[in-house]
Amino acid sequence: MSRRRRRRGPTALDFVVLAAVLAAIGYVGYRVNSVLVYQWDWSAIPGYFFRRDPKTGEWVANLLVKGLTTTVRIAFWGMIISTVLGVLLAFARTSRRLLPRLIGWAYVGFIRNIPPVPFLFLFYFFISTQLVPMLGIDRLLAQASPGTLSVLRVLFGEIALIPNFASGVFCLSLLMAAYIAEIVRAGIQSIARGQYEAGYTIGLSRLQIAWYIVLPQAVNRVVPPLTGQLITLVKDSSLVALISIQELSFLAMEIAISERRFFEVWLVTGLMYFVICYSLSLLMRRLERRALAYDR
Amino acid sequence: MPWWRSAWFDVVQFLILVGLIAWLAWRGAGAMGYRWQWYRVPRFFYRYVDGVIVWGPLVDGLLVTLEIAAWGMVLTLAIGLVTAILRLSRSLAGRAVAVAYLEIVRNTPLLVQVSIFYFVLQPLLGFNNPLWAGITCLGFFEGAFASEVIRGGILSVARGQWEAGSTVGLSRADTYRFVVLPQAVPIMLPPMAGVLINLIKHSAVLSFIAVFELTTEARNLIGDTFLSFEIWFVIGIMYLCLTISLSGLVGWLERRVRAHGWA
Repeated sequence: MSRRRRRRGPTALDFVVLAAVLAAIGYVGYRVNSVLVYQWDWSAIPGYFFRRDPKTGEWVANLLVKGLTTTVRIAFWGMIISTVLGVLLAFARTSRRLLPRLIGWAYVGFIRNIPPVPFLFLFYFFISTQLVPMLGIDRLLAQASPGTLSVLRVLFGEIALIPNFASGVFCLSLLMAAYIAEIVRAGIQSIARGQYEAGYTIGLSRLQIAWYIVLPQAVNRVVPPLTGQLITLVKDSSLVALISIQELSFLAMEIAISERRFFEVWLVTGLMYFVICYSLSLLMRRLERRALAYDR
Repeated sequence: MPWWRSAWFDVVQFLILVGLIAWLAWRGAGAMGYRWQWYRVPRFFYRYVDGVIVWGPLVDGLLVTLEIAAWGMVLTLAIGLVTAILRLSRSLAGRAVAVAYLEIVRNTPLLVQVSIFYFVLQPLLGFNNPLWAGITCLGFFEGAFASEVIRGGILSVARGQWEAGSTVGLSRADTYRFVVLPQAVPIMLPPMAGVLINLIKHSAVLSFIAVFELTTEARNLIGDTFLSFEIWFVIGIMYLCLTISLSGLVGWLERRVRAHGWA
């Protein structure tokens, strides 16, 4: 309908909107320069991306880049763990037995109806004092060879911070699993009944039907919303700054406080998140188009 | 059907499982040297001082959260409506502004937006209360999602309905009022309930800045008393009551609108 619409010149609304935007920009500029008399100083910011090591004279990553890689690592591992948990929960919720359905329902209901922040604090307490010591990460790290350590450093970041990192990843994964479970459940339930019946007819077991018939079709419908969930994961990974996981937002806050450059640091941090999330959402749109074409 | 296949047996198993988890948490915390002190919790809600009820920090926090939710909803709906109108308008500048706003809000974390509102926009626009920086930030954030809900609802009404409206001689505004909105509003209500529930859930992020809502009060109490488990448990139940009663309310509204029409 929009394509067929005749091209028109600017409408009255165009002028109203433009005037409003210009007025807003003018007002902000006036407040910054005349009322607050804010001294912009961007000179410290590039040094927080990369700095020159005083001993070796080489360029090394500084806090902002380190924070960014931690955020990306959290999103990567968080996505893997929460997808596994989410798929299990989704199968529980679509099970024929009532018991798994009840368990899935209770978990998803609790997570989705209580704010993530209190959950993060509670989970963090359990995970950092119980689960991480129980997994023996500290002991394993102490025994690891230098070769293993360098691989681990690529995968999980700085060795000393791995227990801290793991707590953050587990906390976020437990939250995200509930949302992913709902996406996967919708994908499973969107498979037509006849597909299951066809599976029974050729004598497949329930597990075989799930693996060979339901999953391949559900995956295609589920991948675009899962990409959306990955964007949410990148964004929500900033919440673990509240439990002192050293990712981008946490380090940005530290820099802002130590340099007293709140305007510059927060604007740059916002831009960094935007670049990651926006490129992911462009990817999501492409996947959506492909999924639509495949379904047709 | 044998008794172990009946639904009741599954419910019983589920309850046993929940009880087991609760017992494990109870014993596990006890084994760590955690002393459960539930008897200290009621006084965080209210105390009697000289025969007068003095509300405790949890009630204060709940009231602030409700205040944030109430103002936040007004702001969310207003911003959502304006953005949806701009997005659906013929004006190029209007659509560009709406799309830019949507992409910025949806592709940056709420925590960063809260920081920008608190550290950058609050001194810039001269708010003198962090509560208002928080409320405007939440309204700004949820408004983007609300606008998509409104736009989706309006677009879901078939084009023929618009044409029918203009055929019987209704103006654009009257077509909206009598033809489009009565059909679009019931479609919008369930996802809008989701947006408003998110508003309540996201208000907890404001504990990052100096807003004394429920989560902030809880964190302060835990800092003072070290009753982490009791307090987080109580806070969780309080939020659960808020969100579940909100979705119940919207469900009732939806049935009403479907049955009696809107307005």
